[in-house]
Amino acid sequence: MSGSKCTRLSGALVKQLLDSVDSVLFDCDGVIWRGDQAIPGAPQVINLLKKSGKKVFFVTNNSTKTRKMYAEKMTTLGFNVTEEEVFGTAYCSAMYLKTVCKVDGKVYLIGSNAMRQELEAVGIQQTGVGPDLISGKQADWANVPLDPEVKAVVVGFDEHFSYMKLNRALQYLTQQGCLFVGTNRDTRLPLEGGKAVPGTGCLLQCVETAAQCQAQTVGKPNHYMFDCVASQFGVERERCLMVGDRLDTDIMLGSNCGLKTLLTLTGVNSVADAEAHQKSGCAEKQGMVPDYYVESIADLLPALQG
Amino acid sequence: MAGAFGFKGCQKIRGPQIRSLLEAKDFFLFDCDGVIWHGEKAITGAAKVVNALIRQGKNVVFVTNNCTRPRENYVHKFCRLGFTDVMLEQIFSSSYCSALYLRDVVKVRGQVFVIGCDGLRRELLEAGIPCVEEADDPDATIYNCALAPDVKAVLVGHDDKLTFLKLAKASCYLRDPDCLFLATDNDPWHPLSGGRILPGSGSLTAALEVASGRKATVIGKPSRFMFECISSQFRGVDPAQCLMVGDRLEVDMLFGSNCGLDTMLTLTGVSQIEEAQEYRNSDLSTNHSLVPDYVVDTIADFLPAFEELEEQSN
Repeated sequence: MSGSKCTRLSGALVKQLLDSVDSVLFDCDGVIWRGDQAIPGAPQVINLLKKSGKKVFFVTNNSTKTRKMYAEKMTTLGFNVTEEEVFGTAYCSAMYLKTVCKVDGKVYLIGSNAMRQELEAVGIQQTGVGPDLISGKQADWANVPLDPEVKAVVVGFDEHFSYMKLNRALQYLTQQGCLFVGTNRDTRLPLEGGKAVPGTGCLLQCVETAAQCQAQTVGKPNHYMFDCVASQFGVERERCLMVGDRLDTDIMLGSNCGLKTLLTLTGVNSVADAEAHQKSGCAEKQGMVPDYYVESIADLLPALQG
Repeated sequence: MAGAFGFKGCQKIRGPQIRSLLEAKDFFLFDCDGVIWHGEKAITGAAKVVNALIRQGKNVVFVTNNCTRPRENYVHKFCRLGFTDVMLEQIFSSSYCSALYLRDVVKVRGQVFVIGCDGLRRELLEAGIPCVEEADDPDATIYNCALAPDVKAVLVGHDDKLTFLKLAKASCYLRDPDCLFLATDNDPWHPLSGGRILPGSGSLTAALEVASGRKATVIGKPSRFMFECISSQFRGVDPAQCLMVGDRLEVDMLFGSNCGLDTMLTLTGVSQIEEAQEYRNSDLSTNHSLVPDYVVDTIADFLPAFEELEEQSN
């Protein structure tokens, strides 16, 4: 790894970097697509990388799609990708609950249908998905019937989030031994049309404040998602590159796992943001400084095509 | 902070000590939930205490973060539970004070987007503050919803009809740095009788703070503003004459401390005396503001002192 950081990746450096890695991890929103539009050149980059023998994976905090749904979207946009190469938080949270928490019972889920499907795929039943509006009086809410089989509260993105769901989650969490897991802490969620709405981080903070306790989170920058990829595909950290648009999730994950990191400027953060972290002198912030940056991942094309 | 009677703070006081305190103070501020009542049930002896204080010519006000009812409802509740002669002017709720803040401090021009219940909206409307219509267009979704024009403030309080759409709209309004961000209170949860709890305004405020990247201005305890409302209505209140009686260290005791009032913790509500002792023994000096000057098991402990005071005046 080079001693200097936040270097613009161009010219001969591109091929040098690509030759030094066998696996490349890509974030999705703001990196390979924006909403339902591929970033120009992105499909060619992914397809050429795979053709040249690199392993390519996708690591996204967005919990609204199953890996199958992601693969379908990618195929539509021209990316040659299989389900197994996609690691979204819906899938990874289900894996986390199954293999790390070893949850034995049901889950109270504040989340999407995608999360429900991924949970069911690993044999974990859930309760709670869908609209849930308030009825009755205050006394009723505190005494809302609880499913005795529920052993964990899981929070992901939920457009049906409501006070009643918050209340049910709180009631479950006041029970001893109830696990508390969140998919991620992103503050904004990009929608298909290009708009952004409040992200899972808001819903998670809401439940955490009511319950006065912290959830374990699965998504970036937590290393679990990398562990998932590595355990299934034998990825060597020293020969792995993480490509993302967010310093606090993508680049941080790369740093936490000892990967090389590349910031692309087609999404959330700018070079100025990265340089600000670099100059801060704060040790934690150095983890958010990428090794390299590009305007767009299309900047990798010349090296791949040549 | 030592009380006037030489204690180091956090001391339980009894009969003669309470009597001296009652003689020394002429302005009593009571929290409600957990202090004078639990839900629909008055705490034994509480009504007698409040009525006696009023009869003795003391000023008595009620300071509550509960923003779900308009003050008129509180007047009826006081009556129902045996607290005779409590008038509207003695009741200070965070919803009433939020309305005063918008009307008199901010002098808001434009609409307010409210995440809160009817009680809160009614206080705002009574103060003449226009609120954005609550009902969502039935076709509105998070992908496509209309925003109201000229929204100059977002106010968040307890809202049992909270939806994701409301959070999304609020965070859009808050993108304008000139749009104010207010919260009725920061209580993360509210206690109900029987040891159960419900999510509080604080949890909704936290969600919106994360969504907007901004910090809310909190109107209710422990912020000073409600005391300023009280002081303004009573044309100046001397903090030295006051006693704040509450059950939550992080809310009521801190409020009292922030306003320079003596504080009393009653043990009929949320906080335990052990928690108060921990704060007292803490190395962090900021924790000392949460330590009550005095402690009673229940405000009914005031009663023997009244009986003596009444005997004396007979």
